[in-house]
Formats: sequence, C-alpha cells, structure tokens
Amino acid sequence: MNEQDKQAAFERYNERTHLIGRVVSVATLVLLIGAPFVLGIILGAMPDVGAVAKGFVSVGLVWMVSGVAEYLIYTPMLGAGGGYLAFITGNLINMKIPCAISARDMVGAKTGTAENEVISTLSIAASSLVTILVLALGVLLLVPLQPGLQSEVLQPAFTNVVPALFGAMAYKYFRGSMHIAAVPLAVMSLLFMLVPGLTGSTSFMIIPSGAMAIAITWVLYRRERKSSEK
Amino acid sequence: MSILSQLNGPAVYAVCGGIVAFVAVVCVVFMVRAWRAGVALGMDKAKMRRVITSSVTFTILPSVGILLGVIALSGSLGTPWPWLRLSVVGALHYETQVAQTAAEQVGMSSLSAAEMTPQAFTTIALLMSVCIMWGMLLSTLFSKRYLKKLGGGGKSSGGGVAAGFGDRAMTAMFIGLICTYLGSYIGAFVSGGRFPFNGDWSPLAVAGVSALTMAGCVYLSEKKGMAWVESFSIAGSMLVGMAAAVLLRLWV
Repeated sequence: MNEQDKQAAFERYNERTHLIGRVVSVATLVLLIGAPFVLGIILGAMPDVGAVAKGFVSVGLVWMVSGVAEYLIYTPMLGAGGGYLAFITGNLINMKIPCAISARDMVGAKTGTAENEVISTLSIAASSLVTILVLALGVLLLVPLQPGLQSEVLQPAFTNVVPALFGAMAYKYFRGSMHIAAVPLAVMSLLFMLVPGLTGSTSFMIIPSGAMAIAITWVLYRRERKSSEK
Repeated sequence: MSILSQLNGPAVYAVCGGIVAFVAVVCVVFMVRAWRAGVALGMDKAKMRRVITSSVTFTILPSVGILLGVIALSGSLGTPWPWLRLSVVGALHYETQVAQTAAEQVGMSSLSAAEMTPQAFTTIALLMSVCIMWGMLLSTLFSKRYLKKLGGGGKSSGGGVAAGFGDRAMTAMFIGLICTYLGSYIGAFVSGGRFPFNGDWSPLAVAGVSALTMAGCVYLSEKKGMAWVESFSIAGSMLVGMAAAVLLRLWV
C-alpha cells in the first residue's frame, strides 16, 4: 500500500470511528440515564426529579464546567477513538490519560498523527477492558475479598493511589523539562498554601497550571525556531 | 426485605451487568478496529502488542483501587450500582462526592444504608448519571469538528502544528496537570496561611518514593539496557509508592 492509499484508508477509518463513537456514546448516555428509571420500576420507586434538579444546581454545574474543561484538554491528547472510549469508560486523570500518554511515549508517536490515534485507542481499550474485568472479578469475589482489601493496614496504600501515580509521572515528565515545570509547580504550591480551600477544586486548577506550562513552552518554541532560522 | 437486599437483587445485577457488558463489547470493537488500522498503516505489530501489554500492566493496580471504591460504596448503594458507575464513565472521587451530595438533597444526613429508601436510591443514581455525562455529550456533538480544527483528524504522518508545537503543548498540559496535583500535596502539607507544616505529608512522601522508583527504572532501562523494565515502570513505581504509604503509616 502506497502513502496515498494509507492516507485514504486512515481517513475512512477516522470517519467510521466518529460514526461508531457517536452512536455508542448516545447509546451509553441513554442506558445510563435510563437505568435509574428501570431500577425505579424494579424497586417500585421512581427518582425524585425535583431533588435531582436541586442536586444538579448544587454540584452538577461544577462538574459541568470540569467536564467541559476535561473534554477540551484531553480530546486532542487522545484522538477520536481514544477520546470516545475514554469519556465512555471514565477514570480519565487517574488512569486513561497517563496510560495513553505512557503508551504513546513508549512508541514515540506524535500528537495528531495516525500512529497516535491507533496507539491511544489500543491503550484506552486495553485499559478499560482490564478495569471492567478486575471489577467484575472483584464483584464476584466481593464477599471473601472484603476483609482483606478493607483491612486497616492496607488502607493507606489505596488512599495514595493518585499521589503514587503523579510521583512516577512527575519524574518522567519533569526530567529534562524542569525549566517548563518550575513556574507552574511553584505557583500552584503557593496558591494551595495560601488558599487551602482550593484543594476541593484541584481539577479546575489544572487549567491555569496547564496554561502556564503551555505559555512557557510556546515562548521556548518560538525562541528555538527563531534561532534555527538564523 | 432490607434495602441492601433489594439493591443487591438479581434484577439490579442484570440491569447494571448488561450495561457493563455493552461497554466491554464497545471496547473490543474499538480495539479490533484500531489494531486493523495499525496493520493497514504498516505499524509494527510487536510495538502494538507492547502498547497493549503495558496498558494492561499499567491498569491492574489502579483498578484494584477502584474496586475498593466499589466496596466502599456498596455498604450504602448495594454492589451492582457502584460496580456499574466505576466500570463505566465514573471516577472514584466524583462518584463518592456526588453520591453524598445527592443523599443530602433527598434529606439523608449521610450516605448510609440505614437511611436509604428505594426512592432515595433511584434519585441518587439519576443525579450521579446526569452530573457526569458531559464528556460523552460533548464528544458526540463536537469531537469530529474539534479534532479536524486541531489538525488531528486525518493526517497519517507528522508535520505542521500537530506534530510540532501541538505535541509539545500536550506534554506541557500534562506537566501542568502534574504540577497542580503536586502543588496541592505541598499546599496540604504546609496547610494554611501561617505555614505550620503540620498537614498530611503522606501524599508527598508517596509521590517522592514513586518518583525515586521511576528514576531507578529509567536508569535500568536506559543505562543498563534493560528495556523491558519500561513496560512495568509506572505500575511498579506506583506499587512501591503505595507500599511505602503502608510502611510509613505503620512506622510513624
């Protein structure tokens, strides 16, 4: 297959990915929103829609802003297939994003390329299937597993899954990029020190922190391009 | 029949299990299509296999953590619903937070089986579903145009903004994300306007241990020619970090 054929085949693949992605996203949405009503029939008690509306005003709007930010930030990283799958299967920050980026780095695929699209989709699909499998097995074994997993001794390990993840990722990403990381890290540390209440809005703080890192990268990129043009 | 017996009933399992099975099939379809596309593009099959292996290894440990979330929520919401939520679309920090808020909206003082009623449960379940639908909704409505605009919609090779600054920008965004979380751990430790340094230091210590382990993995992989270590570096570093959390708690 020559380059032109490959390009055409990939474009067809991408078009179809969007079609399948849209259909399954809508189907999953319908299933998830419909499930509480089906359970309502089974349990003999329909949801209180008024209470849902009140709850949505109190927490839903916050999660809506966070959801929009996550969508704008992560979709370009994940590509079409990876993006649809990741938003259907969830656990983005703590699992899907680092998993896809780690896979992408391993093979050296660049954002926006066909290779990245394939790698990201493979990675997120594999990750999602493992989570589904582990949870299904766990639910099957829930009763005998419960005492071991809920043992007081093991709790610190499971409450620190995210710090453990970000520690490992920090070494990987800061290495050779400390000049980019230093300012956002210092600013974020200061902000969280001065306004401890921000801890509850950590996901929102990703936006200014990411913007700072991108701005620094842009300045460095421009400088590099100028010096290479000379 | 107690509320938990009702919430753990076979019909509830069937509804939740059916949705989980549907999503599993979707994952398989996307994976098979991506594999075939990779082969058609002439990508190295060994590389694609490595990606799958590393993603599987990477995911096992965090999945056990998510399973703990299912266990934690099963005491008040039964097992099938938390299983569904955390297998599909959800995230542990989100589910717990929204479930608690929803419980307050239906007049419960806390999220517990003691106060749970069938209507409280279905209301909580609906709010959990509604609050986290944005990613799927936005993907359905805008992903095609958004990705095309960014230049990632159909290129089969690098070049231009997508592979130039675009790639660096995404790495920078991820650096920003890590900085935010590390900053929050530092802030939580320093804790408050007078900087008493008496907050929770365990996340910082765990992140430090994980980072050091990762450094060791990178050294082995890059300097000692042990490339296979790379596939296990993140999961291994996390495991060591999490084990350190247990030891620190026992020791301090």
